[in-house]
Amino acid sequence: MAIRPHWKGYLKLSLVTCPVQMMPATSESEKVRFHTLNRQTQNRVVSHYVDAVTGKEVKEEDEVKGYQRGEDEYVILEDEELENVALESTRTIDISTFTPRDSIEWIWLDTPYYLSPDDPVGEEAFSVIRDAMDAQNMVGISRLVISRRERAVMLEPRGKGIVLWTLRYGDEVREEDSYFEAIGDGKADSEMMPLVQQLIKKQTKDWSAKMVADPVQERLLDIIAAKKKTLKKPVKGKAKPQPSSPASNVVNIMDALKKSVAAEKRGGR
Amino acid sequence: MAGPRANWKGYIKFGEVSCPVALYTAASSSERIAFNTLNRKTGNRVKREFIDSETGDPVEREDQVKGYEVDNGQYVVLEPDEVAAAIPESDKTLRIEAFIPCSQIDTTYFDKPYYLAPDKMGTDAFLLLRDGMKKQGVAAIAQTVLFRRMRTVLIRAHGKGLIASTLNFDYEVRSSEKAFEEIPNLKIEGEILELAEHIIGTKKGTFDASTFEDRYEAAVAELVKAKIEGRTLPKKKAPVASKPSNLLQALRESAGLGAKETKPKRTAANANRRAGRQKAAETAAKSKQAAPPRRAG
Repeated sequence: MAIRPHWKGYLKLSLVTCPVQMMPATSESEKVRFHTLNRQTQNRVVSHYVDAVTGKEVKEEDEVKGYQRGEDEYVILEDEELENVALESTRTIDISTFTPRDSIEWIWLDTPYYLSPDDPVGEEAFSVIRDAMDAQNMVGISRLVISRRERAVMLEPRGKGIVLWTLRYGDEVREEDSYFEAIGDGKADSEMMPLVQQLIKKQTKDWSAKMVADPVQERLLDIIAAKKKTLKKPVKGKAKPQPSSPASNVVNIMDALKKSVAAEKRGGR
Repeated sequence: MAGPRANWKGYIKFGEVSCPVALYTAASSSERIAFNTLNRKTGNRVKREFIDSETGDPVEREDQVKGYEVDNGQYVVLEPDEVAAAIPESDKTLRIEAFIPCSQIDTTYFDKPYYLAPDKMGTDAFLLLRDGMKKQGVAAIAQTVLFRRMRTVLIRAHGKGLIASTLNFDYEVRSSEKAFEEIPNLKIEGEILELAEHIIGTKKGTFDASTFEDRYEAAVAELVKAKIEGRTLPKKKAPVASKPSNLLQALRESAGLGAKETKPKRTAANANRRAGRQKAAETAAKSKQAAPPRRAG
């Protein structure tokens, strides 16, 4: 599967510059890919653009960006003009600061991208920057214009490449205090801590991609397969709900913990 | 005083222990600069229309339905209630299925973070889970129906509370190994690596994401102003990639060990570049750069 790069530009550390390309680490593609149909005709539905005043179809090459100045007043901006916006960060990821990997809290991580060299000429420089960050256990901080916004970005070495994260803006992350203040400064009951830790240890597993499998998509495929056989007959019956346990208010946590640990032991894990 | 409004209320359950909890949005998206799409020929705005691919007639929203292609051109139609039927009924419980070592967490799966806090009573169990996970250096994996979607959630200790991040599904995250497979396996060592590590040392600082400012909108406003006044902004020159044969020299110069005659020029260029930079980063970087490089020699 060939993936189109999302962005091409340069990675820069001081006087070292190398051409790079970048693509989103996440993909929009669903496992079960639907198309929009016209229920009346069963034909595919497509979208196009029409002139808001004349109602006539507008060809793609006639679409252009407009910057609104007044109620009905726009300044046309061509893509080439926008490229000349006076920011180096449209084209160059210039690493300004390095900071320890764990000093950027996860809550700031917004969208991940994969960054790799775009030309053999830059492979060594790219590798040098990546390996030096890795050796120092540092991440790089820079700025980059993506999708018409200038973002703070964090660069983290990963395997042979670099993961670039856009970081959230200050006004996007809510202050945790108002959510957590009611918890108070209490610590966990010291008598119960050993039991909890025992339970956690027993239930600790290695990360696996299976943990992020999607059971709903499998079910959708089943529904589709059933419908395909009896095309036009509606599928009856609801999917089985997950067995729901009574969400009891556990009165005696100690007892519950002991029971949990005992259950784990029986399970032989 | 009324507290913040919860986005979801339910229970968290580990082993036989459960306690009532609430989820609160921890991060939202702010808006970016909005452009309108215009018809170049008329200068009018354009609007999107949905049409039948065969007949060309507009298709109203209520006639748009999801179809899954089973054979070429043949579709199975799924009505919204049928899609909803594939989602299990919510039992409002974040049931912890496993704990995983924090060091193994693959952050590329992260979707949205939520603050997870006790709801009303039951703080004891909450504190046990929080402190137990902290002590063991693990996070918890749970699956539940959130906002009418089945979601996998990663729960970890964060300050006094917990953060629950929804995770993307396996098919929504590209493999980094595949993405990086064409990068050659170059072994970087010796002086070249030492110099790069030294440069990193000189640029070591702290970064506070909350103080970062987006300069894009202001830059576009500047561009528009220039255009209205009939000026054109200078075309930007593309950066020049370092030649592999000059890499070592470029690193030496970056580390301040290069030829003397080029040095003043470089310093001026660096100063200019830094002038526009965000303040916190600048101060942090400056204070570090002012100090003599500790790792030199």
